[in-house]
Amino acid sequence: MSLLAGAAPAAPPRPGRAVRRLTAGSQDRTWVSALAFLLVAEVVYFSVTVSGFWGGGTGMLSLSEQFLDIGLIALGETLVILAGEIDLSAGAMSSLVGIVMAELWQQGLNIWVATALALLVGALGGALNGLLVTRFGIDSLLVTLATQFILSSVATALGGGSPPYGFPKSFVNLAGTGTIGPVPYQLIAFAVIATVTGLGVSRTRYGRGLVLTGYNRAAARYSGTNVRRTLLWSFIASGFLAGLSGVMVSGFYNAARDDIGDSLLLPAITVVVLGGVDIFGGRGRVLGVVVATFVLGLLTQGLLVAGDSSLTATMVTGIVLVMCLVLKIMLNRRSGASLRQLLARRFGPMTRPPPTRLGGETTS
Amino acid sequence: MSPGPRTDRRQPAGPHYEGRSISKAFDGAPVLSGITVSFAPGEIHSVLGENGAGKSTLLKILAGVYQPDSGELILGGQRLPALSPRSAQARGIYLVPQEPALMGSLSVTENLFVGILKRGRLRFNVDWAGMHREASSYLNRVGLHIDPEARAEDLSIAQQQLVECARALVHRCTVIFFDEPTSPLTANEAATLFEVMAKLRRDGYSQGFISHRLDEVLTVSDRVSVLRDGDKVLSAHVSEVDRSALVKAMVGRDVASRRRVRPPVDATGREEVLHVEDLSSAPAFEGVTFGVRAGEVVGLAGLVGSGRTEIAETIFGLRAADRGTVHVRGELLAHRTPRSCIDAGLVYLPEDRARHGIFAEVEVQRNVTAGVVPRLERFGPLLKTSAERRMAGEATARTAVRMTSLDTLVKALSGGNQQRAMLARWLLAEPRVAIFDEPTRGVDVAAKDDIYRIVAHLADEGLGCVLISSELSELAIVCDRALAIYEGRVVGELSGAELTDDRLGAMVVGGHAS
Repeated sequence: MSLLAGAAPAAPPRPGRAVRRLTAGSQDRTWVSALAFLLVAEVVYFSVTVSGFWGGGTGMLSLSEQFLDIGLIALGETLVILAGEIDLSAGAMSSLVGIVMAELWQQGLNIWVATALALLVGALGGALNGLLVTRFGIDSLLVTLATQFILSSVATALGGGSPPYGFPKSFVNLAGTGTIGPVPYQLIAFAVIATVTGLGVSRTRYGRGLVLTGYNRAAARYSGTNVRRTLLWSFIASGFLAGLSGVMVSGFYNAARDDIGDSLLLPAITVVVLGGVDIFGGRGRVLGVVVATFVLGLLTQGLLVAGDSSLTATMVTGIVLVMCLVLKIMLNRRSGASLRQLLARRFGPMTRPPPTRLGGETTS
Repeated sequence: MSPGPRTDRRQPAGPHYEGRSISKAFDGAPVLSGITVSFAPGEIHSVLGENGAGKSTLLKILAGVYQPDSGELILGGQRLPALSPRSAQARGIYLVPQEPALMGSLSVTENLFVGILKRGRLRFNVDWAGMHREASSYLNRVGLHIDPEARAEDLSIAQQQLVECARALVHRCTVIFFDEPTSPLTANEAATLFEVMAKLRRDGYSQGFISHRLDEVLTVSDRVSVLRDGDKVLSAHVSEVDRSALVKAMVGRDVASRRRVRPPVDATGREEVLHVEDLSSAPAFEGVTFGVRAGEVVGLAGLVGSGRTEIAETIFGLRAADRGTVHVRGELLAHRTPRSCIDAGLVYLPEDRARHGIFAEVEVQRNVTAGVVPRLERFGPLLKTSAERRMAGEATARTAVRMTSLDTLVKALSGGNQQRAMLARWLLAEPRVAIFDEPTRGVDVAAKDDIYRIVAHLADEGLGCVLISSELSELAIVCDRALAIYEGRVVGELSGAELTDDRLGAMVVGGHAS
């Protein structure tokens, strides 16, 4: 029963004003579909033009081992960016956790115990970032810029001279290059983590608080979200997942290096943005980030397999990102209009006689 | 090209400024359809209308902020080409925005003379001394006696508004528009502004004025135009209309006003749902004690800055208290957070809806359920989305939110409907006591009426209500009791027949209840 039913005759909803407006959800779905289409087009293109892209049947899946580390960091980064913050220390964290794991193992610890402890270091590092951001109110861009230097210098100090290599076979198999049939363990792990992250964002209390915090931090606080705790967990998750990527890369190359993470951070942020996550928080879907991981990863790998230099691959990555951003901004600016209407509005006046504007006569 | 301010301070009488058949649509939705208004020298012309009637849009078109879809602007008999804010200013048309838009870290003088800095004798230096002198004289003209070298951000909102006004004079503008200038001002500050406007009228300026407060409009203006749904429905000399005629024109129907929304309730003996004891948070407020019983509406009356909002935010766990306790239904809330308050049955509807209330870019559903997310966890950690949709649907139906669907973005709703969505959010929390902080701020007459009725209805259902307002007449017609807050202290309490806006008015400015 309406509270106002007796009081004021409720007028019928005015049509027109909001009817044509696309909802945020449907726009995000459109974006993910577009990415999926791009992915298919890419795979078809490389399959046709680049011999050896498939690498003999299962090769396609194992190609993914080349970029899932980026995907893992991107998932953690997604949680931070959705909340309206950023984690620049993720790459350095990846290096550090790999090194810590390897050093602990070299000191005689069981490799799995070493891995667990190293991942704990990742989570604690994330917690440090989170506490600096929430307790002191420092911008996360500055906090994580600073901790990035600390983490990477600690990594170099620990393992820079002679980074450990030659891990036990079981570790290299599970964390690195092993497969079940054609499916790499890494891909399975990524799929599981991505699913958990996706459900966590869209279907849990934590995720809802995260998204609302990203859209309007003050309103989230006023409606009962514990904003500090939410941010803290985002940074912890980011630190942990960055660490996990470090373990995976170490397993894959069967060696730890103090600088492996350096080249992962910017591609990871690229993937998050390409996946449709608003860099200012709130908006975006984990599924988009997952698809974007493959779009960007296969693009790079395809170009490399085709014999292009990594410089070319990097440049193409940049071009794709710029094009996607431009397209997205065009879509957002007129959230009520379809792309066709949008193009008509943009290019229409050139094909029609210009409308008579007021004051046209007086300027003479 | 823009000439420096002249040493001759006498301004010529402003020209006649007219907008003819102005139409404007946003995203296909018409906002103004063929409006004709004119502003004459020596006259204050008020534009009235409900929220969304198109008042601000009209003034912004006249001041070059928006381009009209059709229609023409005629200044002193001459048709103007398409305007920008800058070219409008160059032609002597100035819009004082709703929230002053000064550059906070610059001095008052710099703000006044930006764009037309005076050169010194050497041609490449700036004549600061001369500008400060001149700034002082302009500031005096608008009744401001402040140091022109003060930083703009250190001024009160009211002072900043007067600086905006002085800025119009410095730029030798003779057509000045005021877009709801009084909404952030106290009554005294508004009175100062009106004096300045009256002075400008004597000097022959053309002035346009928007306000929600009818009494203000009736005292200040010479001419009144009323917009409704983008049409001009009334335009008259102020002597030809009265309050009820204006209200009727604005809403299109008669609205009972100044009558009690519901008979006062004597809640003695009912359960005390909220008890606040000796709550203090220096320097905002000190030693606040009061209780609210089930089904009672208790007003907190006070001027802006008296500490009302701070009291509410401290009760709701948004600010730390120095000392004091809060009990909800007899249960002590020790370490209060918004979450623990909501779970205990206490909710707070914030004053600043855009900043603290809504998630503009989020659809209605998640906006409405934002306060009860933990209650959506039924089995395991996953939220029950089907239950969420049902709950949001029921709550929005109860508060009669007008929307296309639950997936409509909240920013697409009108202000009144956003407020209804906020009410729906808190209804879902099944509160026992609710604090409404200025629920009718920036809301038009008809929507105000609805909000009063909702509050009264909720109280009838047994909700304890705290209503914070600086509109004393509003408190007088809705509340059963009212506490007057003055400089962070409760200075008095009125109930029953004693509760009138006059008596409250005397108390909130620190006078005696008599």
